[in-house]
Amino acid sequence: MNAFVRLLLVELRRYLRRRAVQLLMAACVAVPTFIGVITIINTQPPSDADIAQLQHDAEMNRQSELDYCTENPADWGISPTEDDAAAACARQIPDAAAYADEYGYYDTLRLDNEEDDSGVAVASVLAILLLLAGTTFTGHDWNSGSVSNQLLFEPRRARVWTAKALVVTGGAFLVSAVVMTAYWAVLGIVASSRDTLGDGDLLNALQMGWRSAGVAAAASLLGFALTMLFRSTVATIGLLLGASVAGSLLLAALGVSERWNPAVNLVALIDNGTTYYSEEACHDEGYSDDGYYDCEDELSFTDASLYLGSFLLIGGVASFVSFGRRDVP
Amino acid sequence: MSDLVIETSGLHKEFRSIRGGVRVAVQGLDLAVPAGGGVHGFLGPNGSGKTTTIRMLLGLVRPTRGTMRLFGEPVPARLPQVIGRVGAVVESPKFSPNFSGRLNLELLAGSIGAPKARVDQAIATVQLSGREKERYKSYSLGMKQRVAIAATLLKDPDLLILDEPTNGLDPAGIREIRETIRGLGEAGVTVLLSSHILAEVQHVCTSATIIGNGRMLASGRVDDLLGTSTLHRVVVPDPARAAEVLGRADLAAAVDGDAVRVEADDPARITQVLAEAGVWLSELTPLRPDLETVFLELTRSEQLGGAQ
Repeated sequence: MNAFVRLLLVELRRYLRRRAVQLLMAACVAVPTFIGVITIINTQPPSDADIAQLQHDAEMNRQSELDYCTENPADWGISPTEDDAAAACARQIPDAAAYADEYGYYDTLRLDNEEDDSGVAVASVLAILLLLAGTTFTGHDWNSGSVSNQLLFEPRRARVWTAKALVVTGGAFLVSAVVMTAYWAVLGIVASSRDTLGDGDLLNALQMGWRSAGVAAAASLLGFALTMLFRSTVATIGLLLGASVAGSLLLAALGVSERWNPAVNLVALIDNGTTYYSEEACHDEGYSDDGYYDCEDELSFTDASLYLGSFLLIGGVASFVSFGRRDVP
Repeated sequence: MSDLVIETSGLHKEFRSIRGGVRVAVQGLDLAVPAGGGVHGFLGPNGSGKTTTIRMLLGLVRPTRGTMRLFGEPVPARLPQVIGRVGAVVESPKFSPNFSGRLNLELLAGSIGAPKARVDQAIATVQLSGREKERYKSYSLGMKQRVAIAATLLKDPDLLILDEPTNGLDPAGIREIRETIRGLGEAGVTVLLSSHILAEVQHVCTSATIIGNGRMLASGRVDDLLGTSTLHRVVVPDPARAAEVLGRADLAAAVDGDAVRVEADDPARITQVLAEAGVWLSELTPLRPDLETVFLELTRSEQLGGAQ
């Protein structure tokens, strides 16, 4: 067997046997399952009995309003001199169907809506969990000092770094692609059973899921690369947390465009492009077709990829070079 | 092919701190360990640069300057070509604490393509059988040390580098490891043994290098390092008379309790002088310094030199 393939298999085994990684993988299944179940429950259409009860309640409610209006027409803006106050109230108070529509409103399960809603939530959760998996996988090696032992058996550091990176990235992509595919497949089946599945919705959602898998894999690789650089899980998580909080505050304080906000770029990656609030757009575009200021600019998938990819590239190269040159404790 | 398994020349390592400080760990070390099996002691006080030297040889630390060779190959450039022939334990054993001893060994064996049978064999050799599936973190320090030694055996090495291998072992464990090391040396494996336990080194090693402050202080066969002593201890019934007789024969002698200490290049001269005077000795022992004495003298003079 090729020496590099052998090393890959060893790193894969190490990855899969790491308890923290196993727990994070379990969370990668459990959290989307929970979100999916909640989504399905929350978008459940009311039953016939619920509708009948709602209509009954609406009728009762309208009658109560009518009675009150007839007794106090002035409260409804009806002149007390009106001959037939009851008829005037009946004209003014919406019929029961309107009440039923108002109180009986529910979110329908539409995959195109869910892509921007629960889909982004699931994708974000997966990215965070798999970033932690990439971090803890190698952080544990540095913490226990076993990196030096590994290098006594394979001293080609570039190979070791690459094998670990491939395992972390591939593992994260595989897990998130499977989870996202299953998530959209289940929601698609449910939407189809409720006759709310539009043409092409499922394919669009699946494509979004696979883009999310790519984001999760990149996040995992970033976590791995930074931990190989800092040699500490805590340092990596601290840095990422600090950068996300301080970075957002700094961007806001400096008045930097939302276009450079990593979170906005992340959504653009997941959703194949997005829009963001832009002062410049307000001034440049003026009124939109519907008469409002159009204060949004578009951020494409490619631009977001280039922006976030540059962070990954810088972190990855620094990590690779550092691991190849620095002394190992 | 070189007749040295380890060869360093002008090896130098400086550690630089973020604040700009420089600590010299190894300075101009020339180390030569001959091939052909045997155990070579590598001695030095704490902080003398032993572990740094070993780490440089194994590619874990980059030298500031100087050259190193293993089996005649320059390292770290060609370390991948020779690492399969080198087994090493550097300082304390370092394995994944939540994996079992067996899994840790299997992962290392997998990375060099060693079969699982080799893992079984190594586990049996270090007498870990029965507990190899327990988590590594549940092992005693002695057991952890055994796992580390088992790891070195996965490669079937020609060179074994052991940095304080008996740390944490009980007396029986120390004896076992000592026997294992001696056995490996006799079987043709060259062992570089770094240890603080000088009596142990003297028991096991055929040659040794002593370093201090990152410099080599002495190197050679253990017998040569200990030197040929001209001082002897003679036990006689009347030490005062024996000292007087020896003194008349121009041999420097002094009473030492119930014996006499005599300086003589040839011990036969002592027996001859005493016999001619009718003084019969019951014991004649050459007084050689042990390795500890040599080590302490060398490292003390190095420290004094460093202080000046």
